[in-house]
Amino acid sequence: MAETSTFHLEIITPERQFYIGPAEALVLPAVDGQMGIYPGHEPVVTAIEPGELRYKADGKWEPAAVGAGFAEIKPDYVILLVGFAEHPEEIDRKRAEAARQRAEERLRQKQSIHEYYHSKAALARAMARLKTRR
Amino acid sequence: MASIKEIRTHIKSVEQTLKITNAMYLISSSNLRKARKQLTDVEPYFRKIEVTISDILHHSPEISHVFFDKRPGVQPADRKIGYIVITGDKGLAGAYNHNILKLAEQKMSQSAHTSLFVVGQVGRSYFQEHGIPIDVEFLYTAQDPNMARARDMAELMLDLYLEEQLDEVYIIFTRMVNTFQMEPTIHKLLPLDPDVFPEYEKNRDSYNRDVAYVPSVKAVMDRLVPGYVKGDIFGALVESYCSEQNSRMTAMKSSSDNARAMLQSLNLSYNRARQAAITQEITEVVGGAQAAF
Repeated sequence: MAETSTFHLEIITPERQFYIGPAEALVLPAVDGQMGIYPGHEPVVTAIEPGELRYKADGKWEPAAVGAGFAEIKPDYVILLVGFAEHPEEIDRKRAEAARQRAEERLRQKQSIHEYYHSKAALARAMARLKTRR
Repeated sequence: MASIKEIRTHIKSVEQTLKITNAMYLISSSNLRKARKQLTDVEPYFRKIEVTISDILHHSPEISHVFFDKRPGVQPADRKIGYIVITGDKGLAGAYNHNILKLAEQKMSQSAHTSLFVVGQVGRSYFQEHGIPIDVEFLYTAQDPNMARARDMAELMLDLYLEEQLDEVYIIFTRMVNTFQMEPTIHKLLPLDPDVFPEYEKNRDSYNRDVAYVPSVKAVMDRLVPGYVKGDIFGALVESYCSEQNSRMTAMKSSSDNARAMLQSLNLSYNRARQAAITQEITEVVGGAQAAF
C-alpha cells in the first residue's frame, strides 16, 4: 500500500465540475472492463465507456453514472473528462427507461452507419444511467 | 429650416428605431447572461481537456496515429484545407461578423484548395453573395450552442479528414478575451500537432516517465481525439455565441444612446420651428390689425 492514502480526483463534464476533491479509491468503466485505482497507481491514460463509476470518499463508496470520455491517471491524481456524470438521485429512471426503449427501437430500423452509432451510444448512455439507478 | 411636419415625421421614425434597438439591447443582454453562464460552465472542461492532451502528448512523443498524421507526402500547394467559420445568424452586432469574415477571407486567400463550412446565416449569405462556394449541407445555426450539434460537426470533420478529403481542418471563431475585447481567432483542429499545444504546466508533476495506454494507444486515441475535437468545437461555438451577444449588446446600446441624443436635438428644432411659426402668426395678426386702423 502506498504511503498516501488518498489521491486528488477530478470528474469534469462540459456542463459542470462533478467532483473535485480527495478520493481513496476509484472504480471506472474502462473499454475492456472495470478498472480499479488506488493511490500510487502507475501513470495510465485510458478511455472510458458509458457505465457506472464508483469512488470512495470519506470511507464511503459513491456511485455515479458517466458517459464516454477518458481518464488521465497519475500516482497522486486522476482526471476524468466525460460526456456526462450524474448522481443516482439525479437520474430519472422513467426517462432513462424510455430512452433505452427508443434506442432499441431505432436499432431495429434500417439506418445509416452514423445513425447506428448514435443509437448505440444513446443505448449505452441509457444503460449506464439505469445501471447506476437500479 | 425644415418644416414642422418634416421634423415630426423624422422624430417618429427615430422613435420607432429606438424602440427596436432598445428591445434588441434588452434581449441580447438577457441572452448574454445565459451564454456567459454556459461559458463559465464549459471553460474548465475545455481548458482541462487541452491541458490533459498536451500533457499526454508531451509524455509520449512516439505516438503514431492517424489523427497525428500531418501527411507530409501532400505538397503544400495541393493541401486540402477545411475551415469552419462561425458567424452570427443576424447582423446588427457591430463589427462582430465583419471581423470574422475578414479573417476567414484572409486565411482562404493563402491556399488554393479550401472548403468552407459556415455556421450562421450571415456568413452563409455573405459567401453566397460573393460567389465563394460553401458546403450547402452544413446547416447549423449559431443560436444556443449544444453538445449534439458540436458532435455532428466533429463527426463530419473527422470523416472528411479520415477519407483524405481534407488534410487540415481549422476553426475560425471569436474568442471573448473580456467584455470589451473580442478577438477573431483561428485554431487548428486536425491533425493534432503537439507543437500547437503550449506546454501549459511544464512538468506539473514529478512523474517524468512515459504513460501507459490501456488497452492500447490506438484504442485510447480513437476515443480521446473525437472527444477532444467535439469539445473544441463546442467551446468555440459557446465563445462565439457569447461574443456575438456581447457585441450586439454594445452596438445596440450605443445606437439607442445615439437615437436618444438625436431625439433631443430634433425636439429642440421642432420646438424652435413651432415657436417661429407662432411668432410669425402673431406678427401677421398684429400687422393686419395695425393696417386695419
